[in-house]
Amino acid sequence: MRLRLKGGRVLDPANGENGVAAGAMRDIEIEDGRIVAPTGLKADAEYDLGGDVVMAGGIDLHSHIAGGKMNLARLLMQEDRRAFPEMPGNFCGCGGGRAVPTAHATGCRYAELGYTTVFEPAMLGANARGAHLEMADIPNLDTGAYLVLGNDDYFQRLLAAGAGQEQVNAYVGWMIEATQAFAIKIVNPGGINAFKFNARKMDLDEANPHYGVSPRKVLTTLIRAVTELGLPHPIHLHGCNLGVPGNDETTLATILATEGRRLHLTHLQFHSYGTEGDKRFSSSAARIAEMVNANPNISVDVGQVMFGQTVTASADYMSQYRNRGLASPKKSIGMDIELDAACGVVPFEYKDKSFVNALQWAIGLELFLLVEDPWRIFLTTDHPNGGSFTTYPHLIRLLMDRDFRNAQLATLNKAAQAHTLLAQITREYTLEEIAILTRAGPARILGLKDKGHLGPGAVADIAVHAEDADREAMFSAARLVFKGGRLIVKDGVVVELAQGTTHVARPDFDRSVDTDMQRWFDEAVGLKAQHFRVSDGELRNGAGPTILKCEGGAS
Amino acid sequence: MAEVQTIENVACGFCGLGCDDLAVEVEGRAIRARAPVCPEAARLLRRIDVPDPVARVAGEEAGPTDAARVAHQILAAARSPLIGGFGADMAGAGALVDLAIRFGGVLDHYASDGLFRNYAAAQRTGWLSTTLAEVRNRCDVLLVVGDDPAATWGRLFERLFPATPLFADQGRTVVFLGGAPGEKASAQLAGASIVHHASADPVAALEALGSLVAGRRPPGESFGGIGAEALAALAEKLRNAHYAVVTWNAAELDDGDLVAERATALVDTLNLSTRGGVFPLGGRDNIIGANQLLLWRLGYPFRTAVRGQASAHDGALFATQAALADADVLVWVSAFRPEPPPDLAAMNFTGKLIALAHPETVFDTEPDVLIPVGTPGVDHAGTVFRMDSIVSLPLGALRVATLPSVAEAVRRIAEG
Ligand code: SF4
Ligand SMILES: [Zn+2]
Repeated sequence: MRLRLKGGRVLDPANGENGVAAGAMRDIEIEDGRIVAPTGLKADAEYDLGGDVVMAGGIDLHSHIAGGKMNLARLLMQEDRRAFPEMPGNFCGCGGGRAVPTAHATGCRYAELGYTTVFEPAMLGANARGAHLEMADIPNLDTGAYLVLGNDDYFQRLLAAGAGQEQVNAYVGWMIEATQAFAIKIVNPGGINAFKFNARKMDLDEANPHYGVSPRKVLTTLIRAVTELGLPHPIHLHGCNLGVPGNDETTLATILATEGRRLHLTHLQFHSYGTEGDKRFSSSAARIAEMVNANPNISVDVGQVMFGQTVTASADYMSQYRNRGLASPKKSIGMDIELDAACGVVPFEYKDKSFVNALQWAIGLELFLLVEDPWRIFLTTDHPNGGSFTTYPHLIRLLMDRDFRNAQLATLNKAAQAHTLLAQITREYTLEEIAILTRAGPARILGLKDKGHLGPGAVADIAVHAEDADREAMFSAARLVFKGGRLIVKDGVVVELAQGTTHVARPDFDRSVDTDMQRWFDEAVGLKAQHFRVSDGELRNGAGPTILKCEGGAS
Repeated sequence: MAEVQTIENVACGFCGLGCDDLAVEVEGRAIRARAPVCPEAARLLRRIDVPDPVARVAGEEAGPTDAARVAHQILAAARSPLIGGFGADMAGAGALVDLAIRFGGVLDHYASDGLFRNYAAAQRTGWLSTTLAEVRNRCDVLLVVGDDPAATWGRLFERLFPATPLFADQGRTVVFLGGAPGEKASAQLAGASIVHHASADPVAALEALGSLVAGRRPPGESFGGIGAEALAALAEKLRNAHYAVVTWNAAELDDGDLVAERATALVDTLNLSTRGGVFPLGGRDNIIGANQLLLWRLGYPFRTAVRGQASAHDGALFATQAALADADVLVWVSAFRPEPPPDLAAMNFTGKLIALAHPETVFDTEPDVLIPVGTPGVDHAGTVFRMDSIVSLPLGALRVATLPSVAEAVRRIAEG
C-alpha cells in the first residue's frame, strides 16, 4: 500500500526541516505504514495538501488516560460524563466525558487534535493488567505506561536494609518486565508510603517513619537504576510537596540532588510555588526556569492549569488528602493500594477569579515562556489534573499569541495579575517550537526513534493542519490525520478507528531476583508473582507490545 | 484411563476474593479441587467426565451456528433487550458491551444490588478505601459489620490475617458488630483477638460509633442493642488503632446503603488522626471487572442503557427487575455458575429469552435459545477482577474446552 501526500509544507524539526518558514512544498510518501523516500511509483491513494502544514503525529508524554484511578474518577464524577455526552454523528458514538472521557472518546478527541501517541504516566503495578486492558480499548492511539515505584514496601525495605544498587536494579528490571511498563515514575518519593504510617507531609530529607528512608535516597537510587538498566526515558518525577506554597525550595533542591544525572520533572507548575506577598503564595517560575536552563540534564513538562471544572486523580494520596477540602463538588476518593502505592481523586474547579488559580495559570505560562530550550519542555496540562487535554489548542494559542495571552490575563483576578511578570514577557512560540514541544521533543526524550519525525523509516503517524492565524482554530481540528498510514481523521472528524500498539521497555536484569519476588508476593502481598506478571499476549487483545530493548550500562 | 494431573497455583474467579493458590486434580475432563480451597470453589470447580450439552432452540437440540443465527434474529427484531446476569470474564464482558452497542440494550449484573448500595455512599461523598494486601499487613483493628462474611467468602479471614503480617504484629483485633463469627471465621482468626457485639441494627450502632469517634457522646444508653459503654470503648480502640478497617457486605444488609454511608463517615473521621480505610465486600462472578470495563468503555457503571449510539445510566430504572418490565428480550449470561434468571413468569415477562449459560443451569422457563458456555478458569483462560477493583487475575484453562466462551458465543451471535 503506497500513499502520497502532495504539496505540504513539512514541519519536521527533528530533521531540521521547516517548510513553513521556507515557504517550500513537497510530497511525503508512505509505504506499508512507514514513511519512505519519495519514488516515482504509482500510489494507491493521493492526498492534495495544497500547502497545509504537515507534522508528525502528536505525542503526549504525560496524560492520565487509563488505570484504576481514572475509573474511580469516572465513578465519582458522573456529572462530567453527563455534561459531555456522545458527539452526534461522530464515528465512534461510544462514550463521552471531558475531564475523564471514556476510552473511545479519549482516542477520538486526541486524534482530532492530531495526536497519535499518548503515555499514561502513573500505572500501579497492582493495577497493571487492568490499565493494559483499558489501553487496548483506546482507539487511534499508541500508548505506553510509566510504572509508579518508590513507595512500594518491597523497595522501601530494600533501602532500609542497605541493599546494593545491583539488587535494586534487578528489582526495577523485574517490575518493568512484569508490568509491561515503558518507564519509571516516582510520585511523592516515599511520601505515599509514609502516609500509610500516618505521616502527613514528607520533605526531601525527611525520614520515612517506619523505614527511615528519605525521598532523596529513593530518588537518587532509582535515577541510578534506570540509568544503569539503560531505560530510554529518565526518571519521571512528581516531586515532594505538590501544591504546597514554598515547594520551590524542594524543587530546586531536587534538581541539585541529581548531581548531573538525567531527570524529568513532571507538572512543574504545581511545584513552582513561593511564599512571598501578603497571601503567602507567589510565583517562583523565574527562579526555577533559570535553574532548568542551567542544568541540561533536566527536562520538564508544565501541567498547565486551564480554567473550568475538572477532576484531579493522582497516586499522591498524601497530597490529595491534604487538598480534599478544596474539592468541588465536595466529595473525594482515596485508596491505599497493595503495599504498592495509592490514589486520590478530587474534583476541582479552577476559577479565573480565584487568586490562587489565576496565579497557577500564570505560573504555568511563565514556565513555558522562560524555559529556553524547547527540546526540554513539553506541553501538558497533566490531563485531567490541570485541565482536559482538549484544551491544548487554546494553550497553544496562549503560547503563540502574546496579545491574546495578555488579553486573557487582563480578565483574571486582579491581585494575581499583580503577582505575575507574564505581561512583560514578549516571547511568542513559533510553529516550529510547538512542533518540538508536541512531537519531536517527546519522541527524543522517550527514545522513540521512529516517531516524532517525518524522515524515511518513521512510522506514518502524520497530522496535517490548515494554517490559520488563529492558532487555537488551527490546532482544534486536524485536516487529516494518518495512523500508521491509515487515514483516521478528515476535516476534524474521526473517519476510522485504528488499533494502536503499546510501547514497553525491556531492560536486561539479574533474574536471580525472581526467587525473592516469589517469596515476597506469597508472604506479604498474598498473590502469586506469576499472577501479578502481565504476559505479552495480554496486551492489545493478543497482539502483544512493541518492545524497546534497552542497552544497559550507560551512566 | 487418563492420568491424574495436579495443577498448582490455580486462580479462582468465583467470589471476588481472588485466591490464587489452589491445587486442582485433573483427570481427563474430570476436575476436583484439593486444599487449600473453600467449599464454594470446590463445588464450582468440580467436573465429572460427561459430554457437554449442546445448544437448544425452543427446547430442540441445535447446532451452534443455528442457535447463533436464531439469537441474532431475535436481537435484530428486539425493541428493548436487557443483557443481564453478566457472569462473564473480561473478554466476555467486552463482547457483551459490543453486543449492546450493536443491538441496543440495558446492561446489568445479577449481583449488582450490593454494588449500588455502596455506590450510593461513594458517589455522594466519596470514600477512603483500602485493598487486601494493605488490610493483610497493616490492619490492627478490623470492624466487621453485619453477619459473618466467611459464609460467602470462605477464605476471607485466612487471607486477611496471615500468621506474620509485615506491620500489624503487636496484636490484632477483629470486632464483629452484628452476627457472631462462625467456626470457620474463629479458626482462621486464631491469631487475633475476637470481640462480638450482637446487634440487630448495625446502622444505629455505627452512627453512634461515628459520633463517639468524633468525640461526641450521643444521648442514650444503648444503640442498636449495644451498650453506650461498650461502644465508647470500641471508639477508643478504633482511635488508637494504627490502621483501622471497616468491612461489610452491602448485598446482605437490608440497609446496605446506610451501612456503607455510616462506615464511610466513620473511616473519614478516623483518618483525621490515624489511618484506615473501608473494605467493602463483593465481587462475585467478575462483577467488579465487568463494571470497570463499562466505566472505561461507556463512562457509566452497570445499570446503563445503550441506545442509538448513546448511553444513559439510571441506578433504579435500569436495574434488572425494573428493566425487565420494559424489555422484550432477555439475554441471560452466567458462565461461572448455574445461576438461573429471575422468575420470569412471576414478573410477567413475556419476551424472548436467550441464555448463555453454565451447562448445569436449571431453567423454569425453557429459553428460546440456550447456548451452554464454558467456565472461565475451567474450560478456558480469562481475566477477572478482585473485589477491590484494582487487582485482576489471569485464569488458566484446566481442560480442553468443548463449549465456547461467552466472548466466542457472543461473537457468533453478532455475526449471525
Ligand atoms: S474464597 Fe473465593 S476466591 Fe477463595 S477459593 Fe473460595 S471462592 Fe475462590
Ligand atoms: Zn500526572
